[in-house]
Amino acid sequence: MNAKPDPLIHPIVRLSICGLLAAGADWVEFAALRDAAGIGDSLLSKHSRILEDAGYVEVRKGAVGRRPRTWFRLTPAGRRAIEGHLAWLAQLEETFAAGARDALLGEPIPDDPGIRALS
Amino acid sequence: MRDLASDRAALEQLRVQRERLADRMRAPWWYLTGAAILFAVAFASPFSSRYLPPGVPTWPVLVAALALAVLLHWALTRSTGISIGIPDLTYRPGRPARIGMLIVSAAALLTERFLIDRGLLAAAAVVALLAVVAGVVSVRAAIRGIRQHLRQGSP
Repeated sequence: MNAKPDPLIHPIVRLSICGLLAAGADWVEFAALRDAAGIGDSLLSKHSRILEDAGYVEVRKGAVGRRPRTWFRLTPAGRRAIEGHLAWLAQLEETFAAGARDALLGEPIPDDPGIRALS
Repeated sequence: MRDLASDRAALEQLRVQRERLADRMRAPWWYLTGAAILFAVAFASPFSSRYLPPGVPTWPVLVAALALAVLLHWALTRSTGISIGIPDLTYRPGRPARIGMLIVSAAALLTERFLIDRGLLAAAAVVALLAVVAGVVSVRAAIRGIRQHLRQGSP
Protein backbone atom coordinates (compact mmCIF):
# COMPACT_ATOMS: atom_id res chain seq x y z
CA MET A 1 0.00 0.00 0.00
CA ASN A 2 1.23 3.48 -0.92
CA ALA A 3 1.35 5.42 2.36
CA LYS A 4 0.90 9.08 1.49
CA PRO A 5 -1.04 12.00 2.93
CA ASP A 6 -4.09 13.31 1.08
CA PRO A 7 -4.81 16.99 1.78
CA LEU A 8 -8.49 16.54 0.85
CA ILE A 9 -9.17 14.00 3.57
CA HIS A 10 -6.77 15.42 6.14
CA PRO A 11 -9.44 17.64 7.81
CA ILE A 12 -10.75 15.64 10.72
CA VAL A 13 -14.42 15.48 9.64
CA ARG A 14 -13.54 14.17 6.19
CA LEU A 15 -11.04 11.75 7.71
CA SER A 16 -13.85 10.46 9.95
CA ILE A 17 -16.31 10.09 7.06
CA CYS A 18 -13.85 8.28 4.80
CA GLY A 19 -12.40 6.23 7.65
CA LEU A 20 -15.86 5.03 8.66
CA LEU A 21 -16.86 4.25 5.07
CA ALA A 22 -13.63 2.27 4.69
CA ALA A 23 -14.39 0.19 7.79
CA GLY A 24 -15.82 -2.67 5.75
CA ALA A 25 -19.45 -1.82 5.06
CA ASP A 26 -20.74 -1.69 1.51
CA TRP A 27 -23.04 1.31 2.10
CA VAL A 28 -23.60 3.36 5.28
CA GLU A 29 -26.77 5.34 5.89
CA PHE A 30 -26.66 9.07 6.72
CA ALA A 31 -27.86 8.74 10.34
CA ALA A 32 -25.50 5.83 11.08
CA LEU A 33 -22.56 7.79 9.69
CA ARG A 34 -23.58 10.94 11.55
CA ASP A 35 -24.00 9.15 14.89
CA ALA A 36 -20.77 7.15 14.55
CA ALA A 37 -18.79 10.25 13.58
CA GLY A 38 -20.47 12.29 16.33
CA ILE A 39 -21.13 15.27 14.06
CA GLY A 40 -24.20 17.24 13.03
CA ASP A 41 -26.38 16.90 9.93
CA SER A 42 -25.13 20.08 8.30
CA LEU A 43 -21.45 19.25 8.83
CA LEU A 44 -21.93 15.79 7.36
CA SER A 45 -23.86 17.19 4.38
CA LYS A 46 -21.25 19.84 3.71
CA HIS A 47 -18.22 17.55 3.86
CA SER A 48 -19.87 14.62 2.08
CA ARG A 49 -20.66 16.98 -0.81
CA ILE A 50 -16.99 17.99 -0.99
CA LEU A 51 -15.97 14.32 -1.01
CA GLU A 52 -18.62 13.52 -3.62
CA ASP A 53 -17.41 16.37 -5.85
CA ALA A 54 -13.84 15.06 -5.51
CA GLY A 55 -15.02 11.62 -6.64
CA TYR A 56 -14.16 9.97 -3.31
CA VAL A 57 -17.70 9.20 -2.17
CA GLU A 58 -20.75 7.90 -4.00
CA VAL A 59 -24.17 9.03 -2.76
CA ARG A 60 -27.43 7.15 -3.24
CA LYS A 61 -30.65 8.87 -2.32
CA GLY A 62 -33.94 7.13 -1.74
CA ALA A 63 -36.98 7.27 0.48
CA VAL A 64 -38.90 4.97 2.76
CA GLY A 65 -42.43 6.31 2.83
CA ARG A 66 -42.05 10.05 3.20
CA ARG A 67 -38.69 9.85 4.95
CA PRO A 68 -35.68 10.50 2.73
CA ARG A 69 -32.79 8.09 3.07
CA THR A 70 -29.26 8.86 1.95
CA TRP A 71 -26.59 6.19 1.69
CA PHE A 72 -22.85 6.67 1.20
CA ARG A 73 -20.01 4.51 0.03
CA LEU A 74 -16.41 5.03 -0.99
CA THR A 75 -15.47 4.99 -4.65
CA PRO A 76 -12.30 3.04 -5.62
CA ALA A 77 -10.42 6.37 -5.76
CA GLY A 78 -11.71 7.29 -2.29
CA ARG A 79 -10.70 3.90 -0.93
CA ARG A 80 -7.18 4.23 -2.32
CA ALA A 81 -6.90 7.73 -0.87
CA ILE A 82 -8.09 6.84 2.65
CA GLU A 83 -6.03 3.64 2.78
CA GLY A 84 -2.92 5.61 1.79
CA HIS A 85 -3.73 8.38 4.24
CA LEU A 86 -4.40 5.99 7.14
CA ALA A 87 -1.21 4.09 6.37
CA TRP A 88 0.66 7.40 6.41
CA LEU A 89 -0.96 8.37 9.73
CA ALA A 90 -0.04 4.97 11.18
CA GLN A 91 3.55 5.48 10.02
CA LEU A 92 3.49 8.92 11.57
CA GLU A 93 2.24 7.43 14.83
CA GLU A 94 5.05 4.87 14.79
CA THR A 95 7.60 7.57 13.97
CA PHE A 96 6.21 9.73 16.73
CA ALA A 97 6.36 6.88 19.23
CA ALA A 98 9.89 5.98 18.14
CA GLY A 99 10.83 9.68 18.25
CA ALA A 100 9.47 9.98 21.76
CA ARG A 101 11.55 6.98 22.77
CA ASP A 102 14.62 8.44 21.01
CA ALA A 103 14.03 11.84 22.59
CA LEU A 104 14.20 10.17 25.97
CA LEU A 105 17.51 8.71 24.84
CA GLY A 106 18.66 12.04 23.31
CA GLU A 107 17.98 11.28 19.56
CA PRO A 108 16.09 13.73 17.21
CA ILE A 109 12.63 12.90 15.69
CA PRO A 110 13.19 11.85 12.02
CA ASP A 111 12.07 14.28 9.30
CA ASP A 112 9.08 13.12 7.19
CA PRO A 113 8.38 14.62 3.72
CA GLY A 114 4.66 13.92 4.24
CA ILE A 115 4.62 16.13 7.32
CA ARG A 116 6.27 18.95 5.34
CA ALA A 117 3.69 18.52 2.55
CA LEU A 118 0.81 19.14 4.96
CA SER A 119 2.45 21.96 6.94
CA MET B 1 -3.01 22.23 9.71
CA ARG B 2 -2.89 19.85 12.62
CA ASP B 3 0.28 18.99 14.47
CA LEU B 4 1.64 15.51 15.15
CA ALA B 5 -0.20 15.10 18.42
CA SER B 6 -3.50 16.06 16.73
CA ASP B 7 -2.90 13.51 13.97
CA ARG B 8 -2.41 10.82 16.60
CA ALA B 9 -5.59 12.00 18.32
CA ALA B 10 -7.44 11.88 14.97
CA LEU B 11 -6.39 8.27 14.50
CA GLU B 12 -7.52 7.42 18.00
CA GLN B 13 -10.82 9.21 17.40
CA LEU B 14 -11.36 7.17 14.24
CA ARG B 15 -10.91 3.99 16.28
CA VAL B 16 -13.61 5.17 18.70
CA GLN B 17 -15.91 6.12 15.80
CA ARG B 18 -15.45 2.68 14.21
CA GLU B 19 -16.35 1.11 17.55
CA ARG B 20 -19.58 3.12 17.52
CA LEU B 21 -20.36 2.08 13.95
CA ALA B 22 -19.60 -1.57 14.70
CA ASP B 23 -21.87 -1.49 17.76
CA ARG B 24 -24.83 -0.79 15.48
CA MET B 25 -24.34 -4.15 13.79
CA ARG B 26 -26.29 -6.33 16.19
CA ALA B 27 -28.97 -8.89 15.43
CA PRO B 28 -32.32 -7.80 16.94
CA TRP B 29 -34.66 -10.40 18.44
CA TRP B 30 -36.94 -10.36 15.38
CA TYR B 31 -34.00 -11.13 13.11
CA LEU B 32 -32.98 -14.15 15.18
CA THR B 33 -36.62 -15.27 15.38
CA GLY B 34 -36.95 -15.00 11.60
CA ALA B 35 -33.71 -16.93 11.13
CA ALA B 36 -34.99 -19.64 13.49
CA ILE B 37 -38.19 -19.94 11.41
CA LEU B 38 -36.15 -20.29 8.22
CA PHE B 39 -33.94 -22.97 9.75
CA ALA B 40 -37.03 -24.75 11.11
CA VAL B 41 -38.55 -24.83 7.61
CA ALA B 42 -35.27 -26.18 6.19
CA PHE B 43 -34.83 -28.89 8.83
CA ALA B 44 -38.49 -29.92 8.63
CA SER B 45 -38.05 -30.79 4.95
CA PRO B 46 -37.03 -34.45 5.55
CA PHE B 47 -40.32 -34.94 7.47
CA SER B 48 -42.46 -33.19 4.86
CA SER B 49 -40.87 -35.03 1.92
CA ARG B 50 -41.60 -38.32 3.69
CA TYR B 51 -45.03 -37.74 5.19
CA LEU B 52 -46.79 -35.23 2.93
CA PRO B 53 -49.20 -36.98 0.54
CA PRO B 54 -48.06 -36.97 -3.10
CA GLY B 55 -49.38 -34.01 -5.08
CA VAL B 56 -49.22 -31.51 -2.21
CA PRO B 57 -47.13 -28.60 -3.52
CA THR B 58 -44.17 -27.47 -1.39
CA TRP B 59 -43.16 -24.54 -3.59
CA PRO B 60 -45.37 -22.00 -1.74
CA VAL B 61 -43.39 -22.75 1.44
CA LEU B 62 -40.10 -22.32 -0.43
CA VAL B 63 -41.23 -19.01 -1.96
CA ALA B 64 -42.42 -17.78 1.46
CA ALA B 65 -39.07 -18.79 3.03
CA LEU B 66 -37.13 -16.98 0.31
CA ALA B 67 -39.31 -13.89 0.73
CA LEU B 68 -38.74 -14.00 4.51
CA ALA B 69 -34.96 -14.28 4.00
CA VAL B 70 -34.93 -11.24 1.68
CA LEU B 71 -37.20 -9.30 4.05
CA LEU B 72 -34.96 -10.06 7.05
CA HIS B 73 -31.84 -8.96 5.19
CA TRP B 74 -33.51 -5.73 4.05
CA ALA B 75 -34.89 -4.99 7.53
CA LEU B 76 -31.51 -5.57 9.20
CA THR B 77 -29.87 -3.19 6.71
CA ARG B 78 -32.57 -0.59 7.38
CA SER B 79 -32.42 -0.90 11.17
CA THR B 80 -28.61 -0.82 11.45
CA GLY B 81 -27.98 1.71 8.65
CA ILE B 82 -25.15 -0.54 7.45
CA SER B 83 -25.31 -2.49 4.22
CA ILE B 84 -22.82 -5.31 3.74
CA GLY B 85 -24.34 -6.76 0.56
CA ILE B 86 -25.13 -10.46 0.32
CA PRO B 87 -22.73 -12.29 2.66
CA ASP B 88 -21.89 -15.33 0.52
CA LEU B 89 -18.86 -17.57 1.08
CA THR B 90 -16.52 -15.08 -0.63
CA TYR B 91 -17.33 -12.47 2.05
CA ARG B 92 -14.65 -12.99 4.69
CA PRO B 93 -16.15 -11.62 7.95
CA GLY B 94 -18.13 -14.36 9.67
CA ARG B 95 -17.18 -16.90 6.98
CA PRO B 96 -16.10 -19.67 9.41
CA ALA B 97 -19.56 -19.53 11.00
CA ARG B 98 -21.30 -19.77 7.61
CA ILE B 99 -19.11 -22.66 6.43
CA GLY B 100 -19.59 -24.41 9.78
CA MET B 101 -23.36 -24.04 9.43
CA LEU B 102 -23.33 -25.51 5.92
CA ILE B 103 -21.51 -28.59 7.22
CA VAL B 104 -23.82 -28.90 10.24
CA SER B 105 -26.88 -28.49 7.98
CA ALA B 106 -25.77 -31.22 5.60
CA ALA B 107 -24.96 -33.56 8.49
CA ALA B 108 -28.28 -32.81 10.23
CA LEU B 109 -30.37 -33.38 7.09
CA LEU B 110 -28.63 -36.69 6.36
CA THR B 111 -29.00 -37.81 9.97
CA GLU B 112 -32.69 -36.87 10.02
CA ARG B 113 -33.34 -38.84 6.82
CA PHE B 114 -31.44 -41.82 8.23
CA LEU B 115 -33.46 -41.75 11.47
CA ILE B 116 -36.82 -41.22 9.72
CA ASP B 117 -36.12 -44.20 7.43
CA ARG B 118 -35.71 -46.32 10.57
CA GLY B 119 -38.87 -44.95 12.20
CA LEU B 120 -36.99 -43.03 14.89
CA LEU B 121 -39.13 -39.91 14.56
CA ALA B 122 -38.49 -38.50 18.04
CA ALA B 123 -34.71 -38.75 17.55
CA ALA B 124 -35.03 -37.10 14.12
CA ALA B 125 -37.06 -34.27 15.67
CA VAL B 126 -34.40 -33.75 18.34
CA VAL B 127 -31.70 -33.57 15.61
CA ALA B 128 -33.81 -31.01 13.73
CA LEU B 129 -34.28 -28.95 16.88
CA LEU B 130 -30.54 -29.01 17.66
CA ALA B 131 -29.79 -28.00 14.06
CA VAL B 132 -32.14 -24.99 14.37
CA VAL B 133 -30.35 -23.92 17.57
CA ALA B 134 -26.97 -24.37 15.81
CA GLY B 135 -28.28 -22.26 12.92
CA VAL B 136 -29.28 -19.37 15.18
CA VAL B 137 -25.93 -19.58 17.00
CA SER B 138 -24.12 -19.47 13.63
CA VAL B 139 -26.12 -16.38 12.59
CA ARG B 140 -25.08 -14.65 15.81
CA ALA B 141 -21.45 -15.70 15.26
CA ALA B 142 -21.51 -14.43 11.66
CA ILE B 143 -22.84 -11.04 12.77
CA ARG B 144 -20.23 -10.94 15.51
CA GLY B 145 -17.58 -11.52 12.81
CA ILE B 146 -18.96 -8.65 10.74
CA ARG B 147 -18.97 -6.42 13.83
CA GLN B 148 -15.34 -7.30 14.53
CA HIS B 149 -14.47 -6.51 10.91
CA LEU B 150 -16.14 -3.10 11.12
CA ARG B 151 -14.32 -2.39 14.36
CA GLN B 152 -10.89 -3.20 12.94
CA GLY B 153 -11.53 -1.59 9.56
CA SER B 154 -10.42 -2.72 6.11
CA PRO B 155 -7.15 -0.79 5.74
